[in-house]
Amino acid sequence: MAANTMTVKGALVGGLWTEIPVLRLILGMCPTLAVTAAVKPALTMGLSVLFVLFCSNIVVSLMRNLLKPHLRILMFTLTIATFVTIADLFLRAFMPQMSEVLGPYVPLIIVNCIIIARAEACASKNGMLVSAVDAISMGIGFTIVLCFLASIREVLATGTIFDIPVMWKSFAPWAAMRLPVGAFITLGLMLGTVNLLSGKKS
Amino acid sequence: MLKVIIDYIEKSWLLIVSAFVFGLLLAFTNSAWQGRIEQNKTGKLNNLMSALIADANFNLVLPQAQVNLGKGKMAKTDVYQASSDGQSAGFCFKAEGTGFADKIELVIAVDSSFEKVLGYSVLSSNETPGFGDQIINDFFRMQFIGAPVAQLNLEKKGDDKNIDQEIIAISGATVSSNAVVNIFNNYLQQVKELLKQKGIVQ
Repeated sequence: MAANTMTVKGALVGGLWTEIPVLRLILGMCPTLAVTAAVKPALTMGLSVLFVLFCSNIVVSLMRNLLKPHLRILMFTLTIATFVTIADLFLRAFMPQMSEVLGPYVPLIIVNCIIIARAEACASKNGMLVSAVDAISMGIGFTIVLCFLASIREVLATGTIFDIPVMWKSFAPWAAMRLPVGAFITLGLMLGTVNLLSGKKS
Repeated sequence: MLKVIIDYIEKSWLLIVSAFVFGLLLAFTNSAWQGRIEQNKTGKLNNLMSALIADANFNLVLPQAQVNLGKGKMAKTDVYQASSDGQSAGFCFKAEGTGFADKIELVIAVDSSFEKVLGYSVLSSNETPGFGDQIINDFFRMQFIGAPVAQLNLEKKGDDKNIDQEIIAISGATVSSNAVVNIFNNYLQQVKELLKQKGIVQ
């Protein structure tokens, strides 16, 4: 198996800026578009992905020297599915209303490309410390983007954030921001802004 | 032969061991939280029953009623009688069936003579967001309010305001619509028959 290819600093910066999921890697689009109508579900989804990413990266890193090429993806999926099921059970037991709001998107974390991509690109090639830092930074990066997107949508769609009114009294809510069109437009503008800031050209 | 078995184990031992360990982890987690999950479901069931038949007390009149779901499948359900001011206000019971993606669980309310449906609410479903999950929406649900306790039929076109045995399907979600109609057809007659046998309804 390949030797360490990343540093702790590289893993930390990667997840939070240079390889921030959603905005740089364009991974994890399904939950990004689906659960960002309000901040609470977006935050819950982000933390669920962070938990699964952290656990799966550590387990994959620990078993990296035992992985056979033909069983690699199967082992990743098995590991990820286990921790997603635990996250789903936790939400159903302790946050039943949030579990209903998120609906099938929690089990769908199993097919979230960020997690399998980090298992393949980082955890299967690096030690536990680097893999854990990578998971935390990627998870936090994903959560921040989801919450930022959700904040814009929630404020414009309802005039509230975390159900607290933040807009002036005469503000007319933009109902479209709750709908998929609001997610696509906001995400597009965010991607454009990040490309502008990073000087990325087509 | 022995060589083949050794070769097989050498290639797949990690997968077998991991599946066993992860299975144990899930079994442990599930057993720890299942009680709480069931408690949440019971609380939600009570809330849904109260929403379907307002200002009523619910008494269990037919515990563990056996319902044949077809194809050799049997299900058990508890039938509650709603009473208001000493008068029977109807019956409520949980009903389940196979949807497009997963099991659909409904709470069905029927009037005191078990002749007309009072409505239904969705206890749990993982139907496709934007399509099958519209079984919770008024367009579909309202068609059942006042529908006769008889064989219901699903139609692709028709007047959804006309309350009768014909239920108009949700556009793009025929399988989910059909699943709900099938749940009604499986449960209504059988539960009525069981209540008749007990002398609870005429």
